[in-house]
Amino acid sequence: MNHMPLRSISAVAQVRRPTQRALAKQRTREKILASAKNLFTEKGYEGATIRDIAAAAGMSTGAVFASFTDKSDLFNEIIAADRDALYGAMRAAAQGETAEEALLAMFAVGFEFHLDDLPLLQATIAASWSPQLGSQVRGRLAERPVTDLIAEVLKAAAGRGELSRTADVALLSQMLWDCYLANFRHVAFDTWGPDALQRRLREQIKVILASARTK
Amino acid sequence: MASREAQKQATRRRVLEAARDLFDEIGYDAATVRAIADRAGVSVGSVFTTFTSKDDILSQVMLDRLDALYGEIQNVTPHLRGSTADRVRSLFAVLYAFETRRVKLFLAHIAASYSWRNEPSTVPYGRNVRLRAMLAEGLRNGIERGDVREDADIDTLIDCLMAAYAWNYRLAAAQGASAETMTALMDKQIGLILEGAAPR
Repeated sequence: MNHMPLRSISAVAQVRRPTQRALAKQRTREKILASAKNLFTEKGYEGATIRDIAAAAGMSTGAVFASFTDKSDLFNEIIAADRDALYGAMRAAAQGETAEEALLAMFAVGFEFHLDDLPLLQATIAASWSPQLGSQVRGRLAERPVTDLIAEVLKAAAGRGELSRTADVALLSQMLWDCYLANFRHVAFDTWGPDALQRRLREQIKVILASARTK
Repeated sequence: MASREAQKQATRRRVLEAARDLFDEIGYDAATVRAIADRAGVSVGSVFTTFTSKDDILSQVMLDRLDALYGEIQNVTPHLRGSTADRVRSLFAVLYAFETRRVKLFLAHIAASYSWRNEPSTVPYGRNVRLRAMLAEGLRNGIERGDVREDADIDTLIDCLMAAYAWNYRLAAAQGASAETMTALMDKQIGLILEGAAPR
Protein backbone atom coordinates (compact mmCIF):
# COMPACT_ATOMS: atom_id res chain seq x y z
CA MET A 1 0.00 0.00 0.00
CA ASN A 2 2.02 2.92 -1.26
CA HIS A 3 -0.47 5.71 -0.89
CA MET A 4 -1.55 5.62 2.72
CA PRO A 5 -3.81 8.59 3.43
CA LEU A 6 -2.37 11.06 5.91
CA ARG A 7 -5.13 10.50 8.43
CA SER A 8 -4.40 6.83 8.78
CA ILE A 9 -0.70 7.54 9.23
CA SER A 10 -1.44 9.82 12.15
CA ALA A 11 -3.82 7.19 13.54
CA VAL A 12 -1.02 4.64 13.50
CA ALA A 13 1.29 7.17 15.10
CA GLN A 14 -1.21 7.68 17.91
CA VAL A 15 -1.47 3.99 18.60
CA ARG A 16 2.28 3.57 18.75
CA ARG A 17 2.99 6.49 20.99
CA PRO A 18 6.61 7.60 20.68
CA THR A 19 8.78 7.34 23.74
CA GLN A 20 10.04 10.44 25.53
CA ARG A 21 13.49 9.71 24.19
CA ALA A 22 12.28 9.53 20.59
CA LEU A 23 10.45 12.82 21.03
CA ALA A 24 13.53 14.50 22.48
CA LYS A 25 15.59 13.18 19.60
CA GLN A 26 13.09 14.56 17.11
CA ARG A 27 13.15 17.98 18.78
CA THR A 28 16.95 18.00 18.67
CA ARG A 29 16.90 17.17 14.95
CA GLU A 30 14.46 19.97 14.24
CA LYS A 31 16.55 22.46 16.21
CA ILE A 32 19.69 21.48 14.32
CA LEU A 33 17.91 21.67 10.95
CA ALA A 34 16.57 25.16 11.73
CA SER A 35 19.95 26.47 12.77
CA ALA A 36 21.68 24.79 9.80
CA LYS A 37 19.19 26.31 7.36
CA ASN A 38 19.90 29.77 8.75
CA LEU A 39 23.65 29.31 8.51
CA PHE A 40 23.64 27.79 5.01
CA THR A 41 21.47 30.70 3.93
CA GLU A 42 23.79 33.21 5.54
CA LYS A 43 27.19 31.72 4.70
CA GLY A 44 26.65 29.24 1.90
CA TYR A 45 27.47 25.56 2.06
CA GLU A 46 31.23 25.90 2.43
CA GLY A 47 31.08 28.83 4.82
CA ALA A 48 28.83 27.17 7.39
CA THR A 49 30.70 24.80 9.72
CA ILE A 50 29.23 22.08 11.94
CA ARG A 51 30.74 23.97 14.88
CA ASP A 52 28.76 27.14 13.97
CA ILE A 53 25.60 25.13 13.43
CA ALA A 54 25.95 23.39 16.79
CA ALA A 55 26.67 26.66 18.57
CA ALA A 56 23.65 28.36 17.00
CA ALA A 57 21.45 25.44 18.06
CA GLY A 58 22.88 25.64 21.57
CA MET A 59 24.43 22.18 21.61
CA SER A 60 27.72 20.36 21.18
CA THR A 61 29.12 19.23 17.83
CA GLY A 62 28.83 15.69 19.21
CA ALA A 63 25.08 16.13 19.55
CA VAL A 64 24.89 17.22 15.90
CA PHE A 65 26.83 14.17 14.78
CA ALA A 66 24.49 11.94 16.80
CA SER A 67 21.66 13.06 14.50
CA PHE A 68 23.43 13.57 11.17
CA THR A 69 26.40 11.78 9.68
CA ASP A 70 28.04 14.90 8.28
CA LYS A 71 27.45 18.36 6.85
CA SER A 72 26.32 17.09 3.45
CA ASP A 73 23.74 14.85 5.16
CA LEU A 74 22.37 17.90 6.96
CA PHE A 75 22.35 20.00 3.79
CA ASN A 76 20.65 17.28 1.77
CA GLU A 77 17.95 16.93 4.42
CA ILE A 78 17.21 20.66 4.23
CA ILE A 79 17.00 20.87 0.45
CA ALA A 80 14.96 17.67 0.32
CA ALA A 81 12.35 19.16 2.67
CA ASP A 82 12.20 22.36 0.59
CA ARG A 83 12.07 20.45 -2.64
CA ASP A 84 9.10 18.33 -1.55
CA ALA A 85 7.11 21.37 -0.44
CA LEU A 86 7.92 23.26 -3.63
CA TYR A 87 7.23 20.30 -5.89
CA GLY A 88 3.74 19.91 -4.44
CA ALA A 89 2.99 23.63 -4.82
CA MET A 90 4.28 23.71 -8.41
CA ARG A 91 2.25 20.66 -9.37
CA ALA A 92 -0.90 22.21 -7.94
CA ALA A 93 -0.25 25.47 -9.80
CA ALA A 94 0.43 23.92 -13.22
CA GLN A 95 -3.02 24.73 -14.61
CA GLY A 96 -4.05 26.72 -17.63
CA GLU A 97 -5.74 26.61 -21.00
CA THR A 98 -2.44 26.51 -22.86
CA ALA A 99 0.95 24.99 -22.11
CA GLU A 100 2.36 28.51 -21.89
CA GLU A 101 -0.15 29.55 -19.22
CA ALA A 102 0.28 26.35 -17.20
CA LEU A 103 4.07 26.61 -17.30
CA LEU A 104 4.07 30.28 -16.33
CA ALA A 105 1.75 29.60 -13.39
CA MET A 106 3.96 26.75 -12.26
CA PHE A 107 7.20 28.72 -12.58
CA ALA A 108 5.64 31.72 -10.83
CA VAL A 109 5.25 29.53 -7.74
CA GLY A 110 8.90 28.53 -8.03
CA PHE A 111 10.11 32.11 -8.41
CA GLU A 112 8.07 33.27 -5.46
CA PHE A 113 9.31 30.41 -3.32
CA HIS A 114 12.97 31.08 -4.05
CA LEU A 115 12.80 34.87 -4.02
CA ASP A 116 12.23 34.63 -0.26
CA ASP A 117 15.29 32.50 0.17
CA LEU A 118 17.75 33.32 -2.59
CA PRO A 119 20.99 32.57 -0.71
CA LEU A 120 19.79 29.04 -0.01
CA LEU A 121 18.94 28.53 -3.69
CA GLN A 122 22.38 29.86 -4.55
CA ALA A 123 24.01 27.48 -2.07
CA THR A 124 22.07 24.60 -3.62
CA ILE A 125 22.97 25.49 -7.20
CA ALA A 126 26.61 26.12 -6.30
CA ALA A 127 26.71 22.79 -4.44
CA SER A 128 25.20 20.96 -7.41
CA TRP A 129 28.18 22.10 -9.54
CA SER A 130 30.73 21.18 -6.88
CA PRO A 131 32.76 18.06 -7.69
CA GLN A 132 32.66 16.88 -4.05
CA LEU A 133 29.09 17.46 -3.02
CA GLY A 134 27.59 17.53 -6.48
CA SER A 135 26.60 13.93 -7.00
CA GLN A 136 24.70 13.75 -3.72
CA VAL A 137 22.87 17.01 -4.22
CA ARG A 138 22.06 16.16 -7.81
CA GLY A 139 20.84 12.74 -6.70
CA ARG A 140 18.55 14.29 -4.13
CA LEU A 141 17.24 16.89 -6.55
CA ALA A 142 16.71 14.23 -9.20
CA GLU A 143 14.35 12.22 -7.00
CA ARG A 144 11.44 14.43 -7.94
CA PRO A 145 12.56 16.37 -10.98
CA VAL A 146 10.51 19.38 -11.95
CA THR A 147 11.33 18.47 -15.55
CA ASP A 148 8.80 15.63 -15.09
CA LEU A 149 6.13 18.19 -14.17
CA ILE A 150 7.03 20.24 -17.25
CA ALA A 151 6.85 17.10 -19.37
CA GLU A 152 3.35 16.38 -18.04
CA VAL A 153 2.20 19.85 -19.07
CA LEU A 154 3.68 19.37 -22.55
CA LYS A 155 2.17 15.91 -22.96
CA ALA A 156 -1.25 17.25 -21.97
CA ALA A 157 -0.81 19.98 -24.61
CA ALA A 158 0.08 17.33 -27.19
CA GLY A 159 -3.04 15.42 -26.15
CA ARG A 160 -5.16 18.56 -26.81
CA GLY A 161 -3.51 19.01 -30.20
CA GLU A 162 -1.77 22.22 -29.17
CA LEU A 163 1.67 20.66 -29.59
CA SER A 164 2.80 18.01 -32.03
CA ARG A 165 2.66 14.43 -30.81
CA THR A 166 6.14 13.86 -32.21
CA ALA A 167 7.68 16.72 -30.21
CA ASP A 168 10.78 15.77 -28.21
CA VAL A 169 9.15 16.33 -24.82
CA ALA A 170 12.22 15.35 -22.78
CA LEU A 171 14.47 17.79 -24.62
CA LEU A 172 11.92 20.62 -24.51
CA SER A 173 11.31 20.09 -20.77
CA GLN A 174 15.01 20.21 -20.04
CA MET A 175 15.46 23.42 -22.05
CA LEU A 176 12.57 25.13 -20.30
CA TRP A 177 13.96 24.12 -16.92
CA ASP A 178 17.42 25.41 -17.90
CA CYS A 179 15.95 28.79 -18.82
CA TYR A 180 13.97 28.97 -15.59
CA LEU A 181 17.10 28.31 -13.52
CA ALA A 182 19.32 30.59 -15.59
CA ASN A 183 16.87 33.47 -15.20
CA PHE A 184 17.63 33.65 -11.48
CA ARG A 185 20.91 35.26 -12.49
CA HIS A 186 18.93 38.31 -13.54
CA VAL A 187 17.75 38.51 -9.94
CA ALA A 188 21.33 38.44 -8.73
CA PHE A 189 22.75 40.93 -11.20
CA ASP A 190 19.93 43.01 -12.62
CA THR A 191 17.70 43.08 -9.52
CA TRP A 192 14.79 41.70 -11.56
CA GLY A 193 11.57 41.07 -9.67
CA PRO A 194 8.91 38.41 -10.36
CA ASP A 195 7.25 40.45 -13.14
CA ALA A 196 10.40 40.94 -15.18
CA LEU A 197 11.28 37.26 -14.70
CA GLN A 198 7.85 36.18 -15.92
CA ARG A 199 8.06 38.43 -18.98
CA ARG A 200 11.41 36.99 -20.03
CA LEU A 201 10.26 33.45 -19.35
CA ARG A 202 7.10 33.95 -21.41
CA GLU A 203 9.25 34.94 -24.39
CA GLN A 204 11.53 31.97 -23.82
CA ILE A 205 8.60 29.55 -23.65
CA LYS A 206 7.29 30.98 -26.95
CA VAL A 207 10.67 30.47 -28.64
CA ILE A 208 11.28 26.97 -27.26
CA LEU A 209 7.77 25.66 -27.95
CA ALA A 210 7.45 27.30 -31.39
CA SER A 211 9.02 24.39 -33.26
CA ALA A 212 6.65 21.92 -31.56
CA ARG A 213 3.42 23.79 -32.39
CA THR A 214 1.00 22.02 -34.61
CA LYS A 215 0.47 25.09 -36.77
CA MET B 1 65.54 46.54 -10.76
CA ALA B 2 62.02 45.92 -11.88
CA SER B 3 59.62 48.73 -11.24
CA ARG B 4 56.97 48.34 -8.65
CA GLU B 5 54.29 48.17 -11.30
CA ALA B 6 56.15 45.41 -13.18
CA GLN B 7 56.48 43.43 -9.95
CA LYS B 8 52.79 43.83 -9.27
CA GLN B 9 51.98 42.58 -12.76
CA ALA B 10 54.27 39.57 -12.32
CA THR B 11 52.55 38.70 -9.02
CA ARG B 12 49.17 39.07 -10.65
CA ARG B 13 50.13 36.72 -13.47
CA ARG B 14 51.58 34.12 -11.11
CA VAL B 15 48.49 34.20 -8.88
CA LEU B 16 46.15 33.82 -11.87
CA GLU B 17 48.09 30.85 -13.24
CA ALA B 18 48.26 29.14 -9.85
CA ALA B 19 44.54 29.73 -9.26
CA ARG B 20 43.57 28.47 -12.72
CA ASP B 21 45.47 25.22 -12.13
CA LEU B 22 44.28 24.70 -8.55
CA PHE B 23 40.61 25.42 -9.30
CA ASP B 24 40.78 22.81 -12.03
CA GLU B 25 42.76 20.22 -10.07
CA ILE B 26 41.03 20.27 -6.69
CA GLY B 27 37.90 22.37 -7.29
CA TYR B 28 36.99 25.90 -6.35
CA ASP B 29 35.95 25.28 -2.76
CA ALA B 30 39.02 23.30 -1.82
CA ALA B 31 41.38 25.86 -3.38
CA THR B 32 41.87 28.39 -0.58
CA VAL B 33 43.53 31.75 -1.11
CA ARG B 34 46.39 30.46 1.06
CA ALA B 35 46.85 27.42 -1.20
CA ILE B 36 46.80 29.67 -4.26
CA ALA B 37 49.40 31.99 -2.68
CA ASP B 38 51.64 29.01 -1.79
CA ARG B 39 51.46 27.65 -5.30
CA ALA B 40 52.23 31.05 -6.79
CA GLY B 41 55.12 31.53 -4.38
CA VAL B 42 53.75 34.79 -3.00
CA SER B 43 52.32 35.84 0.37
CA VAL B 44 48.60 35.83 1.12
CA GLY B 45 48.91 39.56 1.78
CA SER B 46 50.26 40.27 -1.68
CA VAL B 47 47.36 38.33 -3.25
CA PHE B 48 45.00 40.74 -1.54
CA THR B 49 46.85 43.81 -2.78
CA THR B 50 45.81 42.80 -6.31
CA PHE B 51 42.50 40.94 -5.79
CA THR B 52 39.62 41.61 -3.46
CA SER B 53 38.51 37.99 -2.94
CA LYS B 54 38.67 34.43 -4.29
CA ASP B 55 35.59 35.19 -6.40
CA ASP B 56 37.47 38.12 -7.89
CA ILE B 57 40.43 35.85 -8.73
CA LEU B 58 38.11 33.36 -10.47
CA SER B 59 36.48 36.15 -12.42
CA GLN B 60 39.88 37.46 -13.60
CA VAL B 61 41.09 33.95 -14.51
CA MET B 62 38.04 33.49 -16.70
CA LEU B 63 38.24 36.96 -18.26
CA ASP B 64 41.85 36.38 -19.32
CA ARG B 65 41.08 32.92 -20.70
CA LEU B 66 37.99 33.99 -22.53
CA ASP B 67 39.45 37.17 -23.99
CA ALA B 68 42.06 35.11 -25.80
CA LEU B 69 39.46 32.59 -26.95
CA TYR B 70 36.96 35.19 -28.11
CA GLY B 71 39.71 36.89 -30.09
CA GLU B 72 40.28 33.64 -31.96
CA ILE B 73 36.57 33.10 -32.52
CA GLN B 74 36.18 36.60 -33.90
CA ASN B 75 38.89 35.83 -36.44
CA VAL B 76 37.06 32.71 -37.54
CA THR B 77 33.44 33.94 -37.68
CA PRO B 78 33.74 35.87 -40.98
CA HIS B 79 34.68 32.58 -42.64
CA LEU B 80 31.71 30.60 -41.31
CA ARG B 81 29.16 29.45 -43.86
CA GLY B 82 25.65 28.05 -43.78
CA SER B 83 22.48 28.92 -41.91
CA THR B 84 22.44 31.03 -38.77
CA ALA B 85 21.84 27.85 -36.75
CA ASP B 86 24.94 26.24 -38.26
CA ARG B 87 27.07 29.30 -37.57
CA VAL B 88 25.89 29.44 -33.95
CA ARG B 89 26.60 25.68 -33.71
CA SER B 90 30.18 26.23 -34.84
CA LEU B 91 30.67 28.88 -32.19
CA PHE B 92 29.38 26.74 -29.31
CA ALA B 93 31.33 23.71 -30.53
CA VAL B 94 34.52 25.77 -30.14
CA LEU B 95 33.45 26.80 -26.63
CA TYR B 96 32.78 23.21 -25.53
CA ALA B 97 36.08 22.01 -26.97
CA PHE B 98 37.91 24.77 -25.13
CA GLU B 99 36.17 24.62 -21.74
CA THR B 100 36.19 20.85 -21.35
CA ARG B 101 39.98 21.01 -21.22
CA ARG B 102 39.58 22.51 -17.75
CA VAL B 103 36.10 21.45 -16.89
CA LYS B 104 36.18 21.93 -13.10
CA LEU B 105 37.30 25.49 -13.64
CA PHE B 106 34.32 26.14 -15.87
CA LEU B 107 31.91 24.46 -13.43
CA ALA B 108 33.16 26.86 -10.75
CA HIS B 109 32.58 29.74 -13.17
CA ILE B 110 28.96 28.69 -13.71
CA ALA B 111 28.38 28.13 -9.99
CA ALA B 112 29.74 31.62 -9.25
CA SER B 113 27.25 33.15 -11.68
CA TYR B 114 24.49 32.36 -9.19
CA SER B 115 26.25 34.11 -6.33
CA TRP B 116 24.26 36.86 -4.71
CA ARG B 117 27.39 38.25 -3.10
CA ASN B 118 29.35 39.18 -6.19
CA GLU B 119 31.28 42.41 -6.19
CA PRO B 120 30.87 44.87 -9.05
CA SER B 121 34.28 43.90 -10.47
CA THR B 122 33.39 40.24 -11.03
CA VAL B 123 32.21 39.10 -14.45
CA PRO B 124 30.35 35.80 -13.98
CA TYR B 125 29.18 33.42 -16.68
CA GLY B 126 26.47 34.96 -18.82
CA ARG B 127 27.73 38.50 -18.27
CA ASN B 128 30.69 38.51 -20.61
CA VAL B 129 29.83 41.32 -23.00
CA ARG B 130 32.07 40.00 -25.76
CA LEU B 131 30.30 36.64 -25.99
CA ARG B 132 26.90 38.28 -25.86
CA ALA B 133 27.97 40.77 -28.53
CA MET B 134 29.24 37.98 -30.81
CA LEU B 135 25.99 36.07 -30.46
CA ALA B 136 23.94 39.22 -31.01
CA GLU B 137 25.88 39.98 -34.17
CA GLY B 138 25.38 36.44 -35.45
CA LEU B 139 21.64 36.65 -34.82
CA ARG B 140 21.30 40.10 -36.38
CA ASN B 141 23.14 38.82 -39.45
CA GLY B 142 20.52 36.07 -39.46
CA ILE B 143 17.80 38.72 -39.69
CA GLU B 144 19.56 40.20 -42.74
CA ARG B 145 20.02 36.74 -44.22
CA GLY B 146 16.32 36.13 -43.69
CA ASP B 147 16.38 33.02 -41.45
CA VAL B 148 15.75 34.93 -38.22
CA ARG B 149 12.51 36.86 -37.76
CA GLU B 150 12.84 40.64 -37.95
CA ASP B 151 11.08 41.23 -34.63
CA ALA B 152 12.92 38.42 -32.81
CA ASP B 153 13.97 39.41 -29.29
CA ILE B 154 17.74 39.01 -29.51
CA ASP B 155 18.28 39.14 -25.73
CA THR B 156 15.75 36.37 -25.16
CA LEU B 157 17.40 34.18 -27.80
CA ILE B 158 20.85 34.74 -26.28
CA ASP B 159 19.51 33.87 -22.82
CA CYS B 160 17.98 30.64 -24.19
CA LEU B 161 21.23 29.67 -25.92
CA MET B 162 23.41 30.47 -22.94
CA ALA B 163 21.12 28.67 -20.49
CA ALA B 164 21.27 25.52 -22.62
CA TYR B 165 25.03 25.83 -23.10
CA ALA B 166 25.78 26.16 -19.38
CA TRP B 167 23.33 23.61 -18.02
CA ASN B 168 24.52 20.97 -20.49
CA TYR B 169 27.66 20.91 -18.34
CA ARG B 170 25.57 18.99 -15.81
CA LEU B 171 26.39 16.01 -18.05
CA ALA B 172 30.09 16.76 -17.63
CA ALA B 173 29.70 17.16 -13.87
CA ALA B 174 27.59 14.03 -13.38
CA GLN B 175 28.91 11.62 -15.99
CA GLY B 176 32.14 13.17 -17.27
CA ALA B 177 30.49 13.77 -20.66
CA SER B 178 32.86 14.80 -23.45
CA ALA B 179 32.80 17.96 -25.55
CA GLU B 180 31.39 15.87 -28.43
CA THR B 181 28.43 14.63 -26.35
CA MET B 182 27.53 18.11 -25.15
CA THR B 183 28.03 19.61 -28.62
CA ALA B 184 25.68 17.04 -30.14
CA LEU B 185 22.99 17.94 -27.59
CA MET B 186 23.61 21.65 -28.08
CA ASP B 187 23.26 21.24 -31.85
CA LYS B 188 19.71 19.99 -31.31
CA GLN B 189 18.91 22.77 -28.84
CA ILE B 190 20.23 25.45 -31.20
CA GLY B 191 18.06 23.94 -33.93
CA LEU B 192 14.95 24.23 -31.75
CA ILE B 193 15.71 27.75 -30.57
CA LEU B 194 16.40 29.10 -34.05
CA GLU B 195 13.37 27.33 -35.45
CA GLY B 196 11.45 29.24 -32.79
CA ALA B 197 12.97 32.48 -34.11
CA ALA B 198 12.47 31.72 -37.81
CA PRO B 199 10.18 33.95 -39.92
CA ARG B 200 6.62 32.66 -39.95
